[in-house]
Amino acid sequence: MSRVDFDDTPDEAAYRARVRDLLAEHAADLVHLDAGEEAADARQQEQALRRTQRVLADAGLVGVAWAAEHGGQAGTLAQQAIVGQELARARVPSLINHIGLGMCGPTVVAHGTPEQHERYLARLLRADDVWCQLFSEPASGSDLAALRTTAVRDGEDWVVNGQKVWTTLAHVADFGVLLTRTDPDRPKHGGLTMFVVDMHAPGVTVRPLRQMGGQSDFNEVFFDDVRIPDSERLGEPGEGWRVALTTLLNERVAVGGGGNDLGLSVESLARLAREAVPALPAERQVLARQAVGRAAVAALANRYTGYRRLTAISQGGLPGPEASAGKLAGTAAAKLVSDAGVRLLGDDAVFAVGPGDDGREGGAGRWQRNQAWLPGIAIAGGTDEVLRNIIGERVLGLPPEPREDKHRPFNAAGSTR
Amino acid sequence: MNFDLDTDQLDAAAGAEQFFSGQASPAQARAALEEGPVAPGRRALADIGFTGITVAESAGGAGGSLLDLAVVAEQAGRVLAGPSLVTAARAAVLLADHPELAQALADGSRAFAVVDGDRPALDAVGADTFLALVDGDLVVGGGAVVTGQPMDATRGLGVVTPTDTRVLTPDAGALWARARDVALVALAAEDLGTAGRAVEVGVAYAKERHAFGRPIGSYQAVKHSLVDAWVGVEQLRSLVWWAAWAADRAPEELPLAAASVAAFAAETLERAAETCIQVHGGIGFTWEHDAHLYWRRAKVDRLVLGDAAGHHDVVAGLVLAGALS
Repeated sequence: MSRVDFDDTPDEAAYRARVRDLLAEHAADLVHLDAGEEAADARQQEQALRRTQRVLADAGLVGVAWAAEHGGQAGTLAQQAIVGQELARARVPSLINHIGLGMCGPTVVAHGTPEQHERYLARLLRADDVWCQLFSEPASGSDLAALRTTAVRDGEDWVVNGQKVWTTLAHVADFGVLLTRTDPDRPKHGGLTMFVVDMHAPGVTVRPLRQMGGQSDFNEVFFDDVRIPDSERLGEPGEGWRVALTTLLNERVAVGGGGNDLGLSVESLARLAREAVPALPAERQVLARQAVGRAAVAALANRYTGYRRLTAISQGGLPGPEASAGKLAGTAAAKLVSDAGVRLLGDDAVFAVGPGDDGREGGAGRWQRNQAWLPGIAIAGGTDEVLRNIIGERVLGLPPEPREDKHRPFNAAGSTR
Repeated sequence: MNFDLDTDQLDAAAGAEQFFSGQASPAQARAALEEGPVAPGRRALADIGFTGITVAESAGGAGGSLLDLAVVAEQAGRVLAGPSLVTAARAAVLLADHPELAQALADGSRAFAVVDGDRPALDAVGADTFLALVDGDLVVGGGAVVTGQPMDATRGLGVVTPTDTRVLTPDAGALWARARDVALVALAAEDLGTAGRAVEVGVAYAKERHAFGRPIGSYQAVKHSLVDAWVGVEQLRSLVWWAAWAADRAPEELPLAAASVAAFAAETLERAAETCIQVHGGIGFTWEHDAHLYWRRAKVDRLVLGDAAGHHDVVAGLVLAGALS
């Protein structure tokens, strides 16, 4: 093991230079945005965002740490982190297939057949296919294993009926990983099976949901007698929970686990503060500096904890329950950053978008959208409370909550059904 | 990029843990409140080489990095050891160009304390050699120490009036600032150990203690507060390592890193110690239990070398001046 070092190694510095060159070379084919604008503009820019990812993939900048046999670059996590940093520096928004790259892809890699690898992974990397994750349902959010969407075997197919909800990107997705109940006679975790579903198949209906901030990033998805060939199963029947855990662990690394800022970055706050704080009356400056200082410290603590986690993963560890701490703390830091930014705007922040505000850097609309987006981050991909349970039970070894339905057949009286 | 300790540092941590667990304990911190000696004490710390970790080899030290010192300081914090490695780390920076005094720091032949004006100084009790900044110059000399009834006797706090001083380094403002930042990092490293231990003690009790027919750690109210304390400890560890790395390798980042880790350490240790008491219920509020000793350390350390509000203000000042751009 080498010593703590945040500087690029000579190899990493050379790689970074190459990434910068590639981004400059392809700049004309890439979408460039101010951070925080993706959510508002993602839908109208779908085609441009697909093209952006394709260009980056063809340049070798997507799936950097994926194995070559899966279409990746067989690079290191440090290289992947460098690409992320350089994309942010070049103001390229997050990749349209971020759910596919962060969660669905690793799940297909871990549990898919060679034929599925062949069929999906290269296209996923190029955003030829965009992916979504079909887990939550109206009656099962945190208690995911209580889900009710059924898949029933019929010849070579499975027939799916039910409803999913909060499905990010379903409205543009081509494929999804779909968690279903295939054996209601077994206890709830034991009767689940995972599939890859074609989002364009007959019987799949996607309805965008409007979020509290006004945007539509997520959807409800209905399945009415949707037929899925058995060859699209991921893992064995009844093994769906184990497969889903792969997805969820990767999700908590992807969302905050690597120490990336959630929402507007602390650098955005720093830029705003440099303009806004000196303009305040002296007695207000004291308070504003406290808020800025506290937010910066929280963001830095999360950032460097993410670096530690990436180091651990790159030394051969798998993402473990510790990654839940990254999302939990990242959410808290993001709220401090957001709140400091909004308060620095003062009276301007009583408007969701101020008169004459074009949503660019420094505008009230940008901070207001961020503020209205963060409550969802504390819920999506594991609520703060569920993450605390995971850390308490799986990291600290505290005794579990009583789970009365855990060992009962799912369809028995008194179950969560 | 690599952000993990190397095997030498892991070995050093294991060695330090063994030393400190045999030489100091919360029980001794409790006894020190009632006139007992501070453990392990200066002699033992010097004999095992811990006062000289960052002193140059040419001056009889180990020539180690601040990160080397931080992993040892964490172990010291776990058992509430005294005197503080903060003093050793800070004095080593101030004495870098004065090998004879540095040697005396490393071998323990002098008992140092570093004085910030009329504010209570760490390890002033029992010290014979005081370092201070007077009119921009670094001075050394004797001193008269006035103490109150200690909140945490292991910290040896006292207000010092320097006597018989001589100028060691003229115009030493920048050196003094760096030494102070290094002290903040070492203090945070000790607080990391104390906070981590307080959480462990709380978690262990929450697994054992039953109420309403099940372990109290199975209740979310108890579990979640322990988790929040633990998450803080893990984040503090990251900031300690970053700040120590910056001191050694990226001095331009040190002011931001030191102020950040100092603010975070103060609040993290305070939360860990208060959570430890709360989880224990009534027994945690007794003199005999160790919980109040972690709490005492938290309540003192949050004030020595500045408080969290001051550190947050320093961070904000650096941000407004262009850090994080």
